[in-house]
Amino acid sequence: MSDRRPRTPVRTLLIALVLCVPPFYLDAFWLRVGLFSVAAAIGAVGLSLLSGTAGQLSLGHAFFLAVGAYGYTWLAGEPGPGLPTAVAAVLAVLLAGAAGGLFSPVAGRVRGIYLGVATLALVFLGHHVLLTADSVTGGFNGRSVPPLRLGGFGFTAGEPELTVLGVPFGAEERLWYLALALLGLTWFTARGLLRSRPGRALAALRDSETAAAVLGVDVARHRAAAFVVSSMYAGTAGVLLALAFRRIVPDYFSLALSVDYLAMIVLGGLGSVAGATAGAVFVTALPLLLSRYADQLPLVAAPGTADGAVGPTEAARFLYGAAVVVVLLHAPDGLHGLTRRLRDRFRAARRSGPGSGPHARPSAPPIAPVRPEEHTP
Amino acid sequence: MTVPGLSVRDVTVRFAGLTALDGVSFAVAPGTVHALIGPNGAGKSTCFNVLSGLARPAAGTVRLGDTELTRLAPHRIAALGVARTFQNIVTTAGTVADNLMLGRHLHSRAGFTASALRLPWAVREQREHLARAREIAELTGLGPHFDSPVELLSYGDRKRVELARALCLEPRVLLLDEPVAGMNAAERARTAEVIARVRAELELSVLLVEHDMGLVMRLADEVTVLDFGRRIAHGTPDEVRRDPEVLRAYLGTPREGAA
Repeated sequence: MSDRRPRTPVRTLLIALVLCVPPFYLDAFWLRVGLFSVAAAIGAVGLSLLSGTAGQLSLGHAFFLAVGAYGYTWLAGEPGPGLPTAVAAVLAVLLAGAAGGLFSPVAGRVRGIYLGVATLALVFLGHHVLLTADSVTGGFNGRSVPPLRLGGFGFTAGEPELTVLGVPFGAEERLWYLALALLGLTWFTARGLLRSRPGRALAALRDSETAAAVLGVDVARHRAAAFVVSSMYAGTAGVLLALAFRRIVPDYFSLALSVDYLAMIVLGGLGSVAGATAGAVFVTALPLLLSRYADQLPLVAAPGTADGAVGPTEAARFLYGAAVVVVLLHAPDGLHGLTRRLRDRFRAARRSGPGSGPHARPSAPPIAPVRPEEHTP
Repeated sequence: MTVPGLSVRDVTVRFAGLTALDGVSFAVAPGTVHALIGPNGAGKSTCFNVLSGLARPAAGTVRLGDTELTRLAPHRIAALGVARTFQNIVTTAGTVADNLMLGRHLHSRAGFTASALRLPWAVREQREHLARAREIAELTGLGPHFDSPVELLSYGDRKRVELARALCLEPRVLLLDEPVAGMNAAERARTAEVIARVRAELELSVLLVEHDMGLVMRLADEVTVLDFGRRIAHGTPDEVRRDPEVLRAYLGTPREGAA
């Protein structure tokens, strides 16, 4: 561990620099794919903290995303209080956290599959409210999202007109940097949490509630707190999604969305920030890419055609459904565990010297234990 | 810090018709090692569960100094300075350091906000506690394994991780449930040495459940013997060893006419 420390800031800086480049080379479609992926990554990190680290199955993530997205739209918009957009964004995140807090009497008492069912109710309840509370949510047709403004700078085209290095900066380019900043904040905070006292307490709850309790961890309080924190990440993701979509509709925040998020964290590896991010990019980008290239792909129909062929969205679902099965069978610790093992093997091969080569040592990396108490779908 | 005495009075625990503990009383004098022995099913582990708040007695009281423990939640009892290990190893995923740092939970304050924002005081606090955890790892002979994943350690080492994690709570009363079960002779000797040393260095009371009579006789100042949930004997190791009731419970009564 310690020998890697000094290189980490350099590596982080490099990655950040590389991520700043795309708006200069990619068109709006790719930037939108990136935006949705980053928003999903933020939400997935939150869910990973709850389901992966604390071991609490939640099917209600879509509800908290909706609270963030609609919270921002209502607080900043008309009808609504029409607050300054930056204030509305912060309040929307806090609102999502508060919604998680309101649910905590349930979250603190129920666990495992029972909590999953209880959170399922949240999704249906939320969807119903979104459809019926017309004055706040705009009903079935949803609402258009007021663009974010920070000081005099608007995250939308032409407010003010902005051209950097010959590239006109429209909404996507500007939101890209906002998304990066939020993702950076998410990584910083989530990894801080996981590596310190609260993260260890949550992992202890997952592995053995009894052991955690006799070591002085207040079980109910930590369960509730995990829910609040996870909801706040979901709220942040919701705000970013709303800004990227520019119009939000109730049908997006359905049970399928919650399931997508579970797929992300299972693919990525439960309890890992990097894994959740990778899983989120995969699950989010795949259907968008399949739609884009539907005409060039075999077996996938272009969107809108109804001749019985598989549409891009369904094709994407099949693909990542298969990916989830493969991961659960062959790499239960997900992409994160897979890369870690590959890296360990690579290091071991390098250490064993040029004479012996990688085949000299039995390639048996420590197999990650499959924790029986984790609730994976 | 003075070590308070632990007194158990008339504790009765019933599980759906089965009386696991029947009016058991004993006291652990401050700074001593008290052994709780008895055949399998005698109620030793149930007694530990009562002491650490995992089981509620139907009757009786448990007092640590002046504080009544039977109505407190497990994490409150831990906060009063009662730490325990389990008969079956219960460690959490991660390295030895992660497990020991979990033992420092009660002594540190960093909450969700401070940890998420990596506030300087929270980072400093973590570093200080890591240093203390390393000291305790050295004390218990886990120093070389400090950064190893727990699941890669041997059985004996994992049992020692539990002991070290309990010590990380800086307990005033340490409850050890079969600390040397399943260990080989060398590991047993080493664990016995660790227990004797922490008792001398850290000034705590130890309540010990153990089947290894050699260890009990060597370490214990006092012994309480349970059989079928009842206290059948009490005294110094030597007194208990000669007690006819104890011999009967462990060896059975000679059958009439047995050859």
